[in-house]
This record gives sequence, C-alpha cells and structure tokens, in this order.
Amino acid sequence: MIAGHFGFAAAVKGRAPTVPLWALMLACQWLDVVFVVLFAAGVEGLTPVAGAKAGAYGASIIHADFSHSLVGASILSLVFGALASLRYGRRSAVIVGLVAFSHWILDLPMHRADMSIMLGGAGDLPKLGLGLWRYPLASGLLELALVLGGAALYGRAAHRIAGGDLGAARRARVCSAAVLGAGLFTLGLNVLGL
Amino acid sequence: MSFILGVVLFTVVIGIIDARLPWPIARPSRQR
Repeated sequence: MIAGHFGFAAAVKGRAPTVPLWALMLACQWLDVVFVVLFAAGVEGLTPVAGAKAGAYGASIIHADFSHSLVGASILSLVFGALASLRYGRRSAVIVGLVAFSHWILDLPMHRADMSIMLGGAGDLPKLGLGLWRYPLASGLLELALVLGGAALYGRAAHRIAGGDLGAARRARVCSAAVLGAGLFTLGLNVLGL
Repeated sequence: MSFILGVVLFTVVIGIIDARLPWPIARPSRQR
C-alpha cells in the first residue's frame, strides 16, 4: 500500500489542521522510507509470490523484520514523534507519531502474513498479515477509498480555512485537486506495477 | 517508482502549496 497511506494522512490533516501536511505525509510513509534504506543495505527485501512478476501490485512477500515488525514500527513511530516534538509541540508530535504507526495498522490487512512481531523476527512468533493483496481488486478499491475519502476531508478543511480570502480559496482548490490527483496517480502507478 | 514519486509529490510539491494556506500554526511545548 502506498497511495492509501497518503489518503489517510490527508484525512488526518483535515482533522488536525495545525500539523504541517508535509510532516503527516512523511510520517505515513516513514516505515517504508526506513525499509528502502534497509533494502538498499541488503538487510530487508522483497520476494515475488510464486508465478508473479517482480514488482506486480501486492504480489510480494516483504521481508521487513525491522522496519515493519510490530516492535520496530512502534520504535520508529516514537522516534518520528519525538523529532516532531522538537518543532511542533507535544500534541502535534503525538498526532505525527500515531500517523507513522498507522502505516503498520493499514499494512496489516494487506500483507501476506509476513509482518513480524519482534525486531528481526526474534522469538519465532507467528507472522501477521491478513493477505488482502491476494485479491488485487479488493485491495485496490480499499486504497482508492482511502485516497477519495482523504482528499474529500482535506479539501473540506482547506476550503473552510481559506474562508473569504479569494487567493487562499484558489490555493485551497489547487491543493485539494493536487492531493486527489497525486493520490490517483500514485495508486495507478502502483497497480500497474511501476 | 510509485513510492518515490508519491513521497516527492506529497511531501515536497503538495507540502509547499499547502504551507501557503492559512492553517493555524502548531506551537512548540513551553520550556520550563
């Protein structure tokens, strides 16, 4: 899931207007940013499921026992929230930290039982994931719903905050359209395996 | 590619446009 996380962060901005949008957007992908770094370092990785093309939508087993383990995600979310607290205060930091952790929550229904509980898969505990990615249409529709819902909530808040200021109202329209367009574009690329 | 493009679009491009909207500002916690 990529676009769905952005949709969720856009929805949160609609409810928490004091938190900068860029911080929420980075927070919602923080676990994947760390995954990319660990992937490049050869610590984490991806394996296509049997018969699937590499990179096909939702067709990978993700070996991310640090960035996407329950303990790892909790630690990474705390770190991101702590960094946000230096600049934006405690309330915003809590929101940003929770948005970072929402990545793990939203990944849980999608992944194919490849999410560890402990760091590095320690303890040989069962791996988590409900496997919605086995049904690409359903998982794509779930992401689409998150994008559409998030864009709608963000757009409503942006127009409310612009009030009667014509310039701000125009920027709100542009930004709302960009949130929707970028969400659909990202989802489209992801579904096409790009 | 979708991940990198998405992060750049949402955090940089849209982040910059959004920052020009009159959102209320988050204040840092008070120092003791």
